[in-house]
Amino acid sequence: MKKRTEKLLALATLWTMGAALLASCGNKAASGESASGEAKSEGKVALSMAIWDEKQRAMTESLAEAYTKAHPDVSIEVQLTPYKGGEYWTKLEAAATGGKAPDVFWLNVLHTDSYVDGGILADLSDAIAKSDIKDNFPESLVNNYVRDGKNYAVPKDFDTNALWYNKEIFDEAGVSYPTNDMSYEDLVAKAEELKQAGLDESVYPFACPVDFQTWYYQTVFANGGWILSEDKKTSGYEDPKTQGGIQCWIDMIDKELSPSSAALSETSADAMFEGGQLAMTFAGSYMVPEYTSNDNIKDKIDCVELPSFNGIETNCINGLGFAVYEGSKNKEAATEFAIWLSSKEAMDIQGNTGVVISARNESQELFAKSSDKYALAVYTAHTDKAYPLPVCKNAAQLYDMESKALQKAYSGEESLAEACKALKTEADAFLAKNQ
Amino acid sequence: MKSAEKLQGKKAGLSWKVKDWIAGYVFIAPVTIGLMVFYIWPFIQNFWFSFNDVNKFNVTHFIGLDNYRQMLSDKEVFQSFGNTLKYVVVTVPVGLFLSLVIAALLNAKIKGKSIYRTLYFLPSVTMAAAVAMVWKWVFNEKMGILNAVITSFGGPRIGWLTNSKTAIFVIMLVGLWMTVGYNMIILLAGMQGISKTYYEAAAIDGAGSLTQFFKITIPLLTPTIFFVMITSIISAFQVFDVVYMMVLKSNPAYESTQTVVMLFYRQAFDYGYKGYAAAISILIFAVIMLITLIQFSVQKKWVNY
Repeated sequence: MKKRTEKLLALATLWTMGAALLASCGNKAASGESASGEAKSEGKVALSMAIWDEKQRAMTESLAEAYTKAHPDVSIEVQLTPYKGGEYWTKLEAAATGGKAPDVFWLNVLHTDSYVDGGILADLSDAIAKSDIKDNFPESLVNNYVRDGKNYAVPKDFDTNALWYNKEIFDEAGVSYPTNDMSYEDLVAKAEELKQAGLDESVYPFACPVDFQTWYYQTVFANGGWILSEDKKTSGYEDPKTQGGIQCWIDMIDKELSPSSAALSETSADAMFEGGQLAMTFAGSYMVPEYTSNDNIKDKIDCVELPSFNGIETNCINGLGFAVYEGSKNKEAATEFAIWLSSKEAMDIQGNTGVVISARNESQELFAKSSDKYALAVYTAHTDKAYPLPVCKNAAQLYDMESKALQKAYSGEESLAEACKALKTEADAFLAKNQ
Repeated sequence: MKSAEKLQGKKAGLSWKVKDWIAGYVFIAPVTIGLMVFYIWPFIQNFWFSFNDVNKFNVTHFIGLDNYRQMLSDKEVFQSFGNTLKYVVVTVPVGLFLSLVIAALLNAKIKGKSIYRTLYFLPSVTMAAAVAMVWKWVFNEKMGILNAVITSFGGPRIGWLTNSKTAIFVIMLVGLWMTVGYNMIILLAGMQGISKTYYEAAAIDGAGSLTQFFKITIPLLTPTIFFVMITSIISAFQVFDVVYMMVLKSNPAYESTQTVVMLFYRQAFDYGYKGYAAAISILIFAVIMLITLIQFSVQKKWVNY
């Protein structure tokens, strides 16, 4: 017994030592590597950059390449985490909590308030004041990331919406294509015309999912409605004007011009349009790369401006910025890189790919020029009149609340007025606590 | 003299008993350390968090019982507990019954036994996310194969996963499909541990195979059945991945299918209320613990060791 124990003990010790040995080997190898790296270029600065869009990965890598070519002392690693399901934010928050967030990362307006609150965004006011950003970017886009007079991000791009249509379905039905000067009533009339012409089973003229940014906010605002008060203490869901901008889409479902909201929650409007099952749909500019690379529809589609509502142009504008991590070890280098990303050179690289609309004034048109097949200029036609999204702290929670309540109105389970009444009570309680 | 010897013995080195202990601890160290680092310590921290307001970036401040108070007035907590309870009450007994029947069938002498065993076990080793994706398409209202079959017989198109009445049953079905195989394997192993001599004796006494099953297999299998029951109740209470993947937030049936762990996840990671989420998880823990304790005290009445 004793002998066996000793043997086992010896084995265990050996095993532990082996592990320790291996570990030390690994350490040596690692330190050796960095030592030689340092020798090559004195103190090379390694920056990391977080993004969430696979479609922009190649473009972002070419940006990094262009920057490192001009700054050989910097290396940049691009990290991609999907946006879907909030994965990007979950990971970013966990990393920031552990003090290891990426040096530069994409930030959208929705998350700006809580991130400023959390103290993880570096104050870029001085760097932005010294740059040419204020003269060359739309003021509203720069101000998207200003809180208490401090800049927290460099504008990257913006997105607006357009009406896309499938020419094949229109041709088969013998209906004329949509035009830029349509009103909401014209859209409904066109949809009715398509329906009467007899579409294939499972093909719909239009789609009205419970979607704020691409659908109902635009009509809510054009109708004179509102979502959040100036002081962000009350919500405007009970205003009849707000409800008017939502009801117009529910009406289209009731007339069977759109699939039910339940069906759309399973098979999205984008998926249906790409599957040739929708004659018309609304889509943000960020959807363009997906539509135009889809072999099933890319030769049959085009876009026009969104229909006007009460004679007012409707569009929502939202966008992204580049933020710098407050806890970054290379904050200076990261800030310098973030500012460079706003330069004409960088904004042109981004714009030329046609993936997004560059935020810089002179680079905006590159998005439309990136394709002569589609009328992409409609996306930038009325950006000066587009509505920014209403934001507050923990906005994601408000949007969830809103969509849950409105689903009941869309499905017909409750009237819109009932749903909005309950929603306002819930939202106002949330806002009161959210100050 | 004697004491001097003892002293000398101690000086010469540790007694073999002590050495044995050390060896023992060295062997359990990897598991113990793992448990401490990944289970016990996080549990203690979680318990502490439940009395604090913890935000997205882990800024904490003590608020006493406020999280628990908030929980009592949160109708979502009750609703999601209700949904979870429904899931447990249906899937545990049905799952136990199905896995028992399948295990009994696969314990018999049939051709291609190992192929069947593999087939039934396969869902248990498949990633839940992949399982959910496939089933989601099967039940899709517009393009699902199930609706294609139903409509070809002239039936109506049903939004299985978007109708708040049917969605939870779809989830239960997928949950059962995933777990039956695993429980079946455990029950099968239990059945094979029953000595053949009992059956031989019973056969001589003229007992048919049904009588043998109810009078020999079931009573001797009760310890295994008990184990399967405990583990499946615990995992049913914690159901998350399948529901999370199959029912998105935009789904109208979200409210009627959201489980407590989903609520916990949303509060902690979507909204960043980590303290409140910790309190919810403590409640889940307490409920599971209570039910398990009850089961252990009742088992004396029906489990034969």
